[in-house]
Amino acid sequence: MAVIQAPPLARPEPVGRRLLVWLTTTDHKKIGILYLINSLGFLVVGGILALLMRTELARPGTQFLSLHAYNQVFTEHGTLMIFLFIFPTLAGFGNYFVPLQIGALDMAFPRVNALSFWLLPAGGLTILSGFLVKGGAAAAGWTSFAPLSVQGRSGQDLWILGLAIVGTSSILGGINFIVTILRMRAPGMTMLRMPAFTWSVLATSLLVVLATPVLTAGLIMLFADRHLGTVFFDASRGGSALLWQNVFWFFGHPEVYMLILVAWGIVSEVLPVFSGKPLYGYRGVVLAFLLITALSFTVWAHHMFVTGAVELPFFSVTTEIISIPTGVLFFNWLATLWKGKLRFEPPMLFALGFIAMFLIGGIDGVWMASPAMDFAIHDTYWVVAHIHYVLFGGTVFGIMAGLYYWFPKMSGRFLSRKLGIWQFWIQVVGFNLTFFPMHILGLRGMPRRIADYPPNQGWTGLNTLATIGSYVIGIAIVLFFLNVFLSLRKPKDAPADAWGSGNSLEWATSSPPPAHNFDTLPEVRSGRPVYDQRASRQGLVRGESPA
Amino acid sequence: MSATELFTDERAVRGTSSPVMGMVLFVAGEAMFFAALFAAYFSIRAATRIWPPARIGIPELPIPAVLTVTLVTSSVVLQFGVRAIRRGRVATFERLLGLTILLGLSFLALQGYDYSQLTFGIKDGIYPSLFYVMTGVHMAHVVGGVVLLSVVGAQSLTGQISTAWHEPVDAATIYWHFVDIVWICLFTVFYVAVPR
Amino acid sequence: MSSTRPRRWLILIGAVACLPLTGCAERPATTQGVYIHLLYFIILTLALVVFVGVEGMLLYSIIRYRRRAGDDSEPPQRYGSTRSIALFFLIGAALVAILFPYGEQVLALVQQKPTPIETINIQGSQWQWSAVYPNEGIATSGKSFVRSLVIDVPIGEPVHIHLISNDVMHELFVPNFFFMRNAMPGFANDFTWTPTRLGTFNGQCAEFCGLGHARMTLVVRVVTDEAFLAWVQQQREALLKLTCPPTSGNSLHVTAKDISWNTNCLAVFPGEPVSLAVTNLDAGIDHNFAIWNGVDQKHQFFATGKFSGVATNSFTIATLPPGKYYFQCNVHGPAMSGVFIVGSPKRGGG
Repeated sequence: MAVIQAPPLARPEPVGRRLLVWLTTTDHKKIGILYLINSLGFLVVGGILALLMRTELARPGTQFLSLHAYNQVFTEHGTLMIFLFIFPTLAGFGNYFVPLQIGALDMAFPRVNALSFWLLPAGGLTILSGFLVKGGAAAAGWTSFAPLSVQGRSGQDLWILGLAIVGTSSILGGINFIVTILRMRAPGMTMLRMPAFTWSVLATSLLVVLATPVLTAGLIMLFADRHLGTVFFDASRGGSALLWQNVFWFFGHPEVYMLILVAWGIVSEVLPVFSGKPLYGYRGVVLAFLLITALSFTVWAHHMFVTGAVELPFFSVTTEIISIPTGVLFFNWLATLWKGKLRFEPPMLFALGFIAMFLIGGIDGVWMASPAMDFAIHDTYWVVAHIHYVLFGGTVFGIMAGLYYWFPKMSGRFLSRKLGIWQFWIQVVGFNLTFFPMHILGLRGMPRRIADYPPNQGWTGLNTLATIGSYVIGIAIVLFFLNVFLSLRKPKDAPADAWGSGNSLEWATSSPPPAHNFDTLPEVRSGRPVYDQRASRQGLVRGESPA
Repeated sequence: MSATELFTDERAVRGTSSPVMGMVLFVAGEAMFFAALFAAYFSIRAATRIWPPARIGIPELPIPAVLTVTLVTSSVVLQFGVRAIRRGRVATFERLLGLTILLGLSFLALQGYDYSQLTFGIKDGIYPSLFYVMTGVHMAHVVGGVVLLSVVGAQSLTGQISTAWHEPVDAATIYWHFVDIVWICLFTVFYVAVPR
Repeated sequence: MSSTRPRRWLILIGAVACLPLTGCAERPATTQGVYIHLLYFIILTLALVVFVGVEGMLLYSIIRYRRRAGDDSEPPQRYGSTRSIALFFLIGAALVAILFPYGEQVLALVQQKPTPIETINIQGSQWQWSAVYPNEGIATSGKSFVRSLVIDVPIGEPVHIHLISNDVMHELFVPNFFFMRNAMPGFANDFTWTPTRLGTFNGQCAEFCGLGHARMTLVVRVVTDEAFLAWVQQQREALLKLTCPPTSGNSLHVTAKDISWNTNCLAVFPGEPVSLAVTNLDAGIDHNFAIWNGVDQKHQFFATGKFSGVATNSFTIATLPPGKYYFQCNVHGPAMSGVFIVGSPKRGGG
């Protein structure tokens, strides 16, 4: 007797199984997304901490944050934003897109890659848990200057431990990226055909591998002074308070380039795609990335001009020199736009906003590069303005450009264009409203890291304005999360070459890519393999998906 | 060849292997780590008139000299082991690897003994701070090296190492030589380059 | 239509670019400040050139090169050239070639050390500033969370500041002087101010130093020579007038609380050792007790070790010759200080 087999019912995979896949994955694409999710979580935490600070500082007088609470808040805000939001987001993009852009199957060390990710929430939660212990979280600033940081209770130790964990994560990741880029490129993908984004990840990884261990050495000395009875930073017993600053900033300055290079890489991808032209002066861009990487090790003591203990002319000239390759990047970006056919999709808006605002951040740094001028504005709100113009006006706008640009590739759906445009403009207004007045506050003598300020200094109005701006930023970020939430519910409809004008290999595979990345890999004969593929299909009208 | 290597540039397959390149980068990072500690040492020494400080005195040479000989010998032995495995002599390699591990453990034991004989503790000022932290951190790296070599030993004993594939041996050897070089620098700085 | 748009944008750029000018609200009050004020404007000029140039090109491209609807053609695919890249490097190099030498000149002017008419030793400690005028033999101090340090300086003459910290990194910052310098433990900084305007100028610590960082303030009063001498005279008289009867049995007990001693005058009989009990009520904060020749701290006659509160320790002070000494906590300097009188052989002291 014939048995008729009914076809199996299509059942969605049980949640538990899907969760287990994500928890144990070594696939660079899933790990990249995990990085992004972790980062966005810490963006929310760091952002709330920022709003707490701005709310307290809106008016003079302590309203709801005690002095000690405020000090913990600004310390954790800086530490978490830098190490748990910005850097991991850039690493997440690298994880997802470097193997794709070079035509590889995965990273060189997939299991180490997974370890690198999981160390991040471990380290981040360790740092954050300081709020729960006696004495509170670390409260010596993200720069943790000794001898102040030798004081302080367990919160400071949790900060040290958490940062050591996060440092390990990034060093392992850096090694992984370098080996992947040097060894796993597809045939025909020479180094000088790699996309600028991949070069930016390579440069960043070199910085990570060489500079982060110096921080580790500093953390060990700090821990030893706190608990083992050593006196590295105790001047009364032969140590030196300056030693911390030299060790920290030797790491610290390359660190800030770790926070911007990949954003430069993203902008260098987005501008060509939405101008319909190649990146102008590609070799100049690559050279600039490498020069900046090398020069970043020569400028550290410009953070120490007011100590009276450093060679002022040397560090002043190296700081000014590093602005030269940075300028080359700007000129190349402008030349990319010149005589192009610009399309103002959200990724392009954020990339243009990046140029406009990172310029301001770069320029206001020039004032500080001159020691005599630095004597007047160091450790004031001028510096707070500078760091936020480069990190927020710069990197965060670059990150938003990357998120809007690559969202269709990662999820198969586009983020809403309308919400994106709203977010962009609200973010531009909120950001400038918050941070531009801080230049003026700095010139008016308001020091940084103060939990409160007196009412008769002429600082009040600008502080209130900055607080209003910070809430506007909050609205923009909420809009972003809303956009993600709503867009993920749409059906997957993004084609392989989602924006229609992609250049690099990630646009040669489906959106999202299959587990093995590429069904067929296009031949790589230039720095724009997907453009070549499109151009060789004569008569193909833009917007039509390939057969 | 793995699926990954099917997609890889041909030149890369014939060049440095990934584990070895990864280890070289890791060692470069560790070199920067130690460089920071040495920089701390030199900057403090340059600012201090009497070095070593009077109450510390000039360190004794015999035990540290033996430590140096032990570690340098272990590197030589390990390098012979690498030569053996390149020629397919697995048993010889395993013996030499075992000897390296033994020498490494001897180093640790002897250094522990040296610590017990010192007249100053870690809390006794800036020289002890530098001495104990720098040599202590180095000891931790030796421990890591012994663990790494033991893992390679286990891999060999389970038949995974051969002439055709011995990348873990190459990688571990690079690390071990690095640890040796750091010791030579420490020995020079703390025991040789002092006024006697 | 399109011709007025760029003009409107240019006006917008100009307005935004002028914003930094509104920010320079501090008028310099020292000769050094005047040089730095000028440097600010030189850099501003260079910055405006770059800002207007780059933002202008950006805005121009956005307006002029917008893709027109329905236009699917490809713009010219330009890749750049070695020459253009070299030019881009040269533009930056030219700007640095102007900026660096000028900055160095201003730095040399600011760092001049003309012969000072006055020396002030300023110490920072958590969380107050204190000042000693060693030549005049007077000291004055702020008090943590209570009051600012107030120092007077004469107008028009160089004043040498010798700056140090007793504990963590601090930073002496007077915005109107366009100047700040770290106060560091174990490494003193020396610099000169030449005030050019009469007035009262606020300052505060600018290097984050813990709980009371926001409250670590000072006031610099630039006064005429006559007023300055009168102030010095006033401080010295106050010090001279400070006297108290000797304690019977030469047994002293001092208490430290809220970074202050319970008294600013101690007196003992001569010729006998003194038993001293020191109580530290500041939990977690180190204090000690030391006796010096005077505020200029040239010779230390006695000092206990530092100890942390809450604790009481006992000491013996060996016999000192009769005279008026100065006592302080070495951790907090003049912020915790007073006179220590060893009476003359005829009972009475002072």
